[in-house]
Amino acid sequence: MTDAKKQQSNKLSEAEAIERAKLGDAEAFEALYNLHKRRVYSLCLRMTANTAAAEDLTQEAFLQLFRKIGTFRGESAFSTWLHRMSVNVVLMQLRKKGLPVVSLEETMETEEDAPRKELGAEDARLAGSVDRMQLQRSIAALPPGYRMIFLLHDVEGYEHNEIAEMVGCSIGNSKSQLHKARMKLREILKTSRAEKAAKP
Amino acid sequence: MTCEEFERVLPELGDGHTIEQEAHLKSCSACSDLVADLNAISQQARLLQGSEEPSPWVWNSIEVALQQEGLIRQPHLARSQPPAPLLGWKLRWLVPAAAMFLVAFGVLMFQRGTGQPPVAEQQPPPVGVETAGLQPMAGDDLQLLKTVGERMPSMRAEYEANLRSVNAYIRDAEQSAHSDPNDEVAQQYLRNAYEQKAMVYEMALDRSLP
Repeated sequence: MTDAKKQQSNKLSEAEAIERAKLGDAEAFEALYNLHKRRVYSLCLRMTANTAAAEDLTQEAFLQLFRKIGTFRGESAFSTWLHRMSVNVVLMQLRKKGLPVVSLEETMETEEDAPRKELGAEDARLAGSVDRMQLQRSIAALPPGYRMIFLLHDVEGYEHNEIAEMVGCSIGNSKSQLHKARMKLREILKTSRAEKAAKP
Repeated sequence: MTCEEFERVLPELGDGHTIEQEAHLKSCSACSDLVADLNAISQQARLLQGSEEPSPWVWNSIEVALQQEGLIRQPHLARSQPPAPLLGWKLRWLVPAAAMFLVAFGVLMFQRGTGQPPVAEQQPPPVGVETAGLQPMAGDDLQLLKTVGERMPSMRAEYEANLRSVNAYIRDAEQSAHSDPNDEVAQQYLRNAYEQKAMVYEMALDRSLP
């Protein structure tokens, strides 16, 4: 089967599942859950860096979705609708707990939070040596505001205008936070590599 | 263009660069290394999308909540099907056994500081199961998929994808634990990876049974 046909078949099965879920079909709910659970859970896990919290948020996101599924009319892609809802659930939860979603003003960043200046010649290129485990750990070590924007843009693929709308910041702030997040990740990854190399 | 000027415009840059920026990148290794690193981070990050599997209990909780709220109006088809007693009797013991074996193996690896080579490396891959770009599956995994395929053909692809994903997670975690046996985070990842595989087995066999 070609990719285009596979995509079409997935879309149809998802559309069918949505219609059946609207009628209260348990299998349809489960099919929709299985189609999207990994992406929603991964997003929640990386945003909270806590398995139990991520599972609670995943559950909450899907419950909100299923409660509102009768109102879904297909104007937007179902996945877009679901992931927006997941992001909103996570953001609401983070705000409830008083965790920073995004820095209000770039000038409020402390020296500690801001990515350090390049060290120059002693740095070797990271390209090609970034593995998944290292990157996961480095993302978890990011300040929450940086982490949020990085996850939404680089992992989830949202555009800056969408992020700005979701988290309530300007497009410029989103771009700036993303750049700082990447710079901070580069610094963490390089430090981690240097520490590994220094070990006997 | 100076490095300071280039770094100032860097957050605004998309995939393309102006002629002036291109010229600076060609002449400045520090800035071209910086751009290459940031691109590598960004590309690798995209691979993290949907890479984690929630525990089966998440769906169980959702299903219970949906039933309590009256959103589910039909009985679950799979659970209303008549059981196949012989198959169920033959496989029921495998549910706790497979889960315990995988968790115990993960814990053993954790305690030994990953001194042993991974099981997958010790076993020759089954003939004819490798597909382009994918790692071969171990015999137990293939047996599980066969069982799932016989009982729930529509779910086989889902379980195959889950197994491949969790096996990749285990391989990554093993590599990480091997490279630094004293890294507690890597050991924890490895243990989590085995627990996740145990969950996939438990869920698949549980659903395969009446």
